[in-house]
Amino acid sequence: MIETVDLRRAFGGLVALDGVTVRVAEGERRAIIGPNGAGKTTLFNILTGELRPTSGRVRLAGEDVTGRRPHELARRGLARMYQRNELFDPLPARDNVALGVGAARGPYRPFTRPPAADVAAADALLEQVGLGDRVRVPARELSHGERRQLELALALARRPRVLLLDEPTAGMSPAETARITSLIASLERTLTIVVVEHDMDVVFRLAERVTVLHEGRVIADGTPAAVRADSQVNEVYLGKVVA
Amino acid sequence: MRGVALAACALLASAALVTFPVWSAGWESSRYATTILRDMLILAIFALSLDLLVGTAGLPSLGHAAFFGAGAYAAAIAMERAGSDDLLLALGAAVAVAALLALVIGSFSVRTSGIFFLMLTLAFAQIVFAAAFQATDLTGGSNGFAGVLRPTFLGLDFNGPEALYQLVATIFILVIVILWRIRSSAYGRALVGLRENERRMRALGYDTTRLKLSAFVLAGALAGLGGALSGFALRFVSTNDVSLGRSIEGFVAVLVGGSGSLVGPAIGAAVVLYIERVLSSAVPFSETVLGLVFIVFVLAARQGIVGIGRAAYGRVRR
Repeated sequence: MIETVDLRRAFGGLVALDGVTVRVAEGERRAIIGPNGAGKTTLFNILTGELRPTSGRVRLAGEDVTGRRPHELARRGLARMYQRNELFDPLPARDNVALGVGAARGPYRPFTRPPAADVAAADALLEQVGLGDRVRVPARELSHGERRQLELALALARRPRVLLLDEPTAGMSPAETARITSLIASLERTLTIVVVEHDMDVVFRLAERVTVLHEGRVIADGTPAAVRADSQVNEVYLGKVVA
Repeated sequence: MRGVALAACALLASAALVTFPVWSAGWESSRYATTILRDMLILAIFALSLDLLVGTAGLPSLGHAAFFGAGAYAAAIAMERAGSDDLLLALGAAVAVAALLALVIGSFSVRTSGIFFLMLTLAFAQIVFAAAFQATDLTGGSNGFAGVLRPTFLGLDFNGPEALYQLVATIFILVIVILWRIRSSAYGRALVGLRENERRMRALGYDTTRLKLSAFVLAGALAGLGGALSGFALRFVSTNDVSLGRSIEGFVAVLVGGSGSLVGPAIGAAVVLYIERVLSSAVPFSETVLGLVFIVFVLAARQGIVGIGRAAYGRVRR
């Protein structure tokens, strides 16, 4: 569904990605883990088109989309939940999501109001992520956990085929983490999900396969159990976290 | 019910505005007041068009006079060259030239944002200013373009001061209605999304570069409309109309009145013009007064007059 072939990205002399090949099948739940600076966020930025690779290819649903801009990829069914929320702060939660729901129709309708169906769809989505009673609250007045839920709703607003989750539980309390993890686990099975996460409980709960990045290279790729047993992974990463 | 009442109020206010020369005819200063109000409305159209960028889409342009001036020159020159005083010819030329210029300048400017956008629009406007200054055959250069015709349309003659005022007031109301419809439309909401979070807009599938360019062209076209009216009103177009001073005048009107609101820029334009034209004959240093008013608003009332009004209304309701 989404794959990279020998992806490289250098920032000046610093090589952030050094030949990364990852292939995620349709409907798969994939986690990408690795220590800070391993290249996870760079990989996501290339997948969403916000960054161009120095070399290598990106394919989405079989189509070569290398170098495509973010909005073109969004229109092809790619969505991202950012690590640091990207919301429309002064707007009510409902209007935040409605902007995403209506995006497919395009903005060039200067004299027609957005249809009521957009608002209904936005409300349904907010209900799904557990913000059903907060639809009128401006995004900036929501708690951190609620803002993460809204961020997820925004990522889902265009009914994507591939969802990239960049540390979905970052900064959350254990209760909030549990809630958003089961929320993500309950999403449609046809949705392809790639998740970057530091919380190993979350990773092992969500992912069917785990890819381990270290210094811009894939050092392991397999089932959660296999990766957990991998000695090299334990040495560079897991050992320090799980211990 | 509330909607009907609001519509009735808006209709009544519009009628009162357009018929001002009629019902004020008994006043001693009716003619003077009509002239002042006319120029307030022209500046208001300019400020409203600028606020579509500054307040709605979050694009702080400091070169908006380029489009105002382009519209003013285009209308005046088109009428002179065609030997016609047709209103549609003049306005059509103004809007077309201003929009085209905005398309060119916008294509470069909208790739940036914030302070870089501000500097780039300023730089382009200075180029337009220099061109207007040097193209003496076309624009009259530093002497200006004198003897601009006043238009006619379907047997209506806008040569008299009352008729011209009514033309200006009608177009002002038209601009307000257009902007009001845009605000509640899918397009207007997308512009607000652009202002609040461009990255998220891109991630949602909006082509933000194109969206910004469309707003830039629309705002430029409306500013050109205001410029054409200014030429009719003063029978004169000069490099002042494409100057940085004019751009700043619009910016001050937007900020004093309240950016991002429908009527704020119009109120701000009225205040700015009142200080420049009415107060200046009564108080020395009126330009200084305008500067002080601006500073006070920037420091103490960022939401402008509309913001102060909203806060007061909120307190009364509570």
